[in-house]
Amino acid sequence: MNELCKLVTVSSLATSLAMFAGCSTSAPPVASGPSAEGASYLLAAEPVTAKGVKDVRADAKDADDVTLIGRIGGDEKPWVEGQAAFVIVDSSLKPCNERPGDNCPSPWDYCCDADELPKSKVMIKIVDAAGKTVATDARKLLGLKELQTVVVRGKAKRDEAGNLTVLADGIFVRK
Amino acid sequence: MLRMRLLPWEYGIRNLFRRPARSGLTLGALTTVVLLVLVVVAFIRGLEGSLATSGDPNVVLVYSIGAAADIENSAIPARTAALLSASLDGVEQRYGVSHVAPELYIGTKVRTSAEAPGMFGIVRGVTATTPLLRRQVQMLEGKWPGSGEVLVGKLTAAKLGCDSSLLQIGRTVHFDNRDWTISGRFTAGGAAFESEIWAPLEDMQAALKRQDISLVAVGLSGGGSTADVELFCKERVDLELQAVGETAYYSALQKHYQPVRMLGWIVVLLVAGAGVFAGLNTMYGAVVGRVRELSTLQAVGFRRRSIAISLIQEATLLSMTASLLASAIALFLVNGTAVRFTMGAFALRVDSLAILVGCGTGLLLGFLGAIPPAMKAMRYEIVEGLKAV
Repeated sequence: MNELCKLVTVSSLATSLAMFAGCSTSAPPVASGPSAEGASYLLAAEPVTAKGVKDVRADAKDADDVTLIGRIGGDEKPWVEGQAAFVIVDSSLKPCNERPGDNCPSPWDYCCDADELPKSKVMIKIVDAAGKTVATDARKLLGLKELQTVVVRGKAKRDEAGNLTVLADGIFVRK
Repeated sequence: MLRMRLLPWEYGIRNLFRRPARSGLTLGALTTVVLLVLVVVAFIRGLEGSLATSGDPNVVLVYSIGAAADIENSAIPARTAALLSASLDGVEQRYGVSHVAPELYIGTKVRTSAEAPGMFGIVRGVTATTPLLRRQVQMLEGKWPGSGEVLVGKLTAAKLGCDSSLLQIGRTVHFDNRDWTISGRFTAGGAAFESEIWAPLEDMQAALKRQDISLVAVGLSGGGSTADVELFCKERVDLELQAVGETAYYSALQKHYQPVRMLGWIVVLLVAGAGVFAGLNTMYGAVVGRVRELSTLQAVGFRRRSIAISLIQEATLLSMTASLLASAIALFLVNGTAVRFTMGAFALRVDSLAILVGCGTGLLLGFLGAIPPAMKAMRYEIVEGLKAV
């Protein structure tokens, strides 16, 4: 009987291991420091004239040069897969993990400020010399991660509905 | 070992027929165990298959950011379809038609007759562009729905828990305060759509007094990518949209059903374990009842190992016969049986993997179940065995 028990246990474990071996999922890109291509977009010093996201959203006109400061977030997934584009949120908003007693698993989505959020976030697109969005994930290109504070320099682009996108040519990442 | 004299192959087979009642009962028990395993695996494979075949890698779903992963809760402006079509470069176009399909997706009570109780069904408001994106969909009979008409899927009857004769072409179903005439039936290659009812989008909006839609399905051309649609959604903050690749959407749903699938595999292990013990019990009985015979075999010169191998052969033959029987029953009676679940309905799938797991379990039942009794048989002393009653 002992032999049987061992056999059943071993075969069950082997089956379970085989099942779990097939359950791996592809992980999203992990921030790993700026790439050689990304280094050309990084600013050596922090621009001193940066405005908050809310102010820029309110004031900037189409094609204006803007410099703004914010934290990466505003969505459970603030990144655009495979593109150097991400969302930043006005620094006046507090992410959930900075609120006492909040254990939100994705604090960067600012779900605690759902009402304020739409007018406090802006899309940033890192563009090349031709004005096209760089086709490398921002996490790989610039080594960015959620809730990092960044200062972005670029041109404002307003659409017909008044939504603002910043076409960035330079970025400073606060340590 | 190589020079070991084995018992003749026929000896084991003949032994099975010497005790037809015991062999028959063991065969019945093993068949039931393997059949149970096949049913559970067919359930898991059916659920997985339904969600896997529902997603097209070239289709992106655009819906409300507030709906999380539940399209049923999504409400977006009806103009979103036109906006997407005009703003995106990578949208597939054929003969001047953009592959952009606005849809309304709701769960509602559906009645098949005036006196029938309402059953929860899934209704999708569709336009003529929908079949361009839902390429798995094929008309089985009838025609595309006109005003006041609906299409029903192959598994809609299973989802509604009614007889399929109630969903024949020309019959009427009632939902959202109006009657709808069935104009056709469709299949979708096992995808989740098969359990849905499709009605013209405009009619549904009128019936529900809704101006908005639930989602827009966007078909991408070779040059387009999900990221382009994602980018559009994130830029258009005012519309509060999110874009998810259709394959990713159904993969997420698969994760949602992961505990059910895990539970299924645990049931397979438990059932198989119970089967091993049942086989063990039977084979112990077989050995105990044949002590004299086994000792006689030793006395005439067969080695213990040969006798043990013959016992394993008997059990394995029985279990493999049971596996074949169970597989045949599963293929003819279980395969394709519709099962209702929250998102619709799916058909049990006795596919190659299910057969492999079922027959593998059967093989293990016979092999593992025979080893301990065979070892017991090897321990008998010849003299004691010959004296045994």
